[in-house]
Amino acid sequence: MISVSHAHRIPHQIQNKKDLACSTMSTISLSKAEKSYITAGLKQSVPQRTDGRNLTDYRSIALETGVAPVANGSARLCIGRNLNDNGGGTEIIAATKLEVETISIDESSEGREGGRFVVNVSCSPAAYPHLTQIALEDLQHDLTTILHTTITHPTLHPKNLIILPRKKSWLLHLDLLILADAGNTLDALFLAARAALWDTKVPRTRSVEYKAPKSNVKDETGFAGANTTVEGGDMDVDETAPSGFDTRSQARRATDFELPDYWDEGENLDGRDRWPVGVTLNLTPPVHFLDATLQEEAAVPLRFLLVFSFSSPSNTPTLQGIRTLGGGEVSLSQIKDLTEAGQNYANELYTALNAKLKDEDIRRTQIAQERFAATRR
Amino acid sequence: MGSRVEILNEGGYRSDGRRQFELRDITINLAQQGQADGSAIITHGLTQVLVSVFGPREGKLRSQAIHDRANINVEVNVAAFSTGERRRRGRGDKRILEIGATIKSTFEPVVQTALYPRTQIDVYVTVLQQDGGLLQACINGTTLALINAGIPMLDFVCAVTGGVHSTSPMLDLTTLEENDVPHVTVAMMPKTGKVALVTMETRLHVDRFEEIFRLAGEAGKVLHREMKGAVMGRTSTLVNAMGSQQSVDKDGDEQMME
Repeated sequence: MISVSHAHRIPHQIQNKKDLACSTMSTISLSKAEKSYITAGLKQSVPQRTDGRNLTDYRSIALETGVAPVANGSARLCIGRNLNDNGGGTEIIAATKLEVETISIDESSEGREGGRFVVNVSCSPAAYPHLTQIALEDLQHDLTTILHTTITHPTLHPKNLIILPRKKSWLLHLDLLILADAGNTLDALFLAARAALWDTKVPRTRSVEYKAPKSNVKDETGFAGANTTVEGGDMDVDETAPSGFDTRSQARRATDFELPDYWDEGENLDGRDRWPVGVTLNLTPPVHFLDATLQEEAAVPLRFLLVFSFSSPSNTPTLQGIRTLGGGEVSLSQIKDLTEAGQNYANELYTALNAKLKDEDIRRTQIAQERFAATRR
Repeated sequence: MGSRVEILNEGGYRSDGRRQFELRDITINLAQQGQADGSAIITHGLTQVLVSVFGPREGKLRSQAIHDRANINVEVNVAAFSTGERRRRGRGDKRILEIGATIKSTFEPVVQTALYPRTQIDVYVTVLQQDGGLLQACINGTTLALINAGIPMLDFVCAVTGGVHSTSPMLDLTTLEENDVPHVTVAMMPKTGKVALVTMETRLHVDRFEEIFRLAGEAGKVLHREMKGAVMGRTSTLVNAMGSQQSVDKDGDEQMME
């Protein structure tokens, strides 16, 4: 009976302390009885979960790339969608968009050498129907920080965001939209982010150079290959000592770029294999389990997020991020074991995701070919 | 840009190959989305909107409760990747607030709010793709989501955009056409023939208005047929799913009777 009275009190507590709801990111309220039911099941000699899964089982994951027609790359990811009625489950849409930015030396514009990369997470109010607007914004901010700091880390920065060195670069926006939350959003966000970045195509550019008039050539526009420096063309070959008053030399460098007509949408974004995957370990002291539902998330005292990236040939893992979520504590020796376990889970997830992404690539190129063939008929 | 594109060519075709009064492809998905009580994904051509309805339920703020009827709360979110040029519109954006207010005022007289005093009906609209006719997609999606949530309404609300290019009226405009052509969005109730909303942000010659208004009304009836078909389809799948359960129950009942 005592637990029943708690069940009535808890929602009010969470509503009043919005930071509590956000920092632990358990977005539903659970009574003490429900919590102990879930944890007791997990602590049995043969651990039991409410939906009958094993501790390290994921729910079914569905992934589709190329869902947003006006984005440079996109993916829709569902974890645990009910196959009978297409309902339930965590659902995320991720999309990347490229914008041209001007780089200036005096930092008057935001552009940076090598391009910028911004990640943003937004939550649909339909995914969190009981959160107030302020709580929702806090949650969005919290998730954005986790993803932005991990994914935009300098070691992962793609190399082909340069259009014209020191002049123009691409600004890469990765937007993630949470449409529904049925637990384990962080893993889902990292998976969706990886899929959208994998799918991203950077448009081919050709730098345009204005050459100074020379002897009989009046004006000439020269092209250089995509994303390459254009200084040191045939201009420099037979040049006399430049006059200090000759300002034309400044105009000789590539000043602008154009988009050549080409059969595909561009080249793949660099670092396709490097984009990280995240694994959240839910800790109920003797054991840990993966892919928690909302109820399980609310019942565990501590969750442990590990983000790994894998270099392509040998699958050597690099730990890109660690974060504990929730109020519990964990000892250092435990962390070592958990990291090792997490690495194995991440490796499996990475392999499975790569296989699916390659499948998607094939599926979409086939569709493209069929469409093309249909128009030719 | 606009001058280079022919809105309506001599053969009577528009830039996307449609005829003057042809509507774009419409797809309706009434499957459950997340925890929503009712939801709908509606696609008009390349415009795609997801609407989720929650309620009638206790409002988050007691101050918003109305003593004799339900309060309809509409929130519109536009995905940053929905348009060609990335632009993040916050919740406070005027354009977003305006669409929300328009949806709210359209549905207030249609939804039987008096049945649920002191409650709130939340309508969350997420715009996933935009290619013209945003308001019409939002309104049609809201109608379907409200019906899907089982909230009693007097009638369907079917919205369509109409425009006039020189003297020839057109229906269901894309972004390209919306930029060049004066247009008006009409939401009508097919059963009674009443009009729930007429809105226009551009100038339109008064002589042309009647024609486009009448056409939009007819197009609304066509949309109604599509929407009704989708609702019937969804309901029958649900009934069939229940039916397999019921037949078991019925057998049990008969045995009891005997």
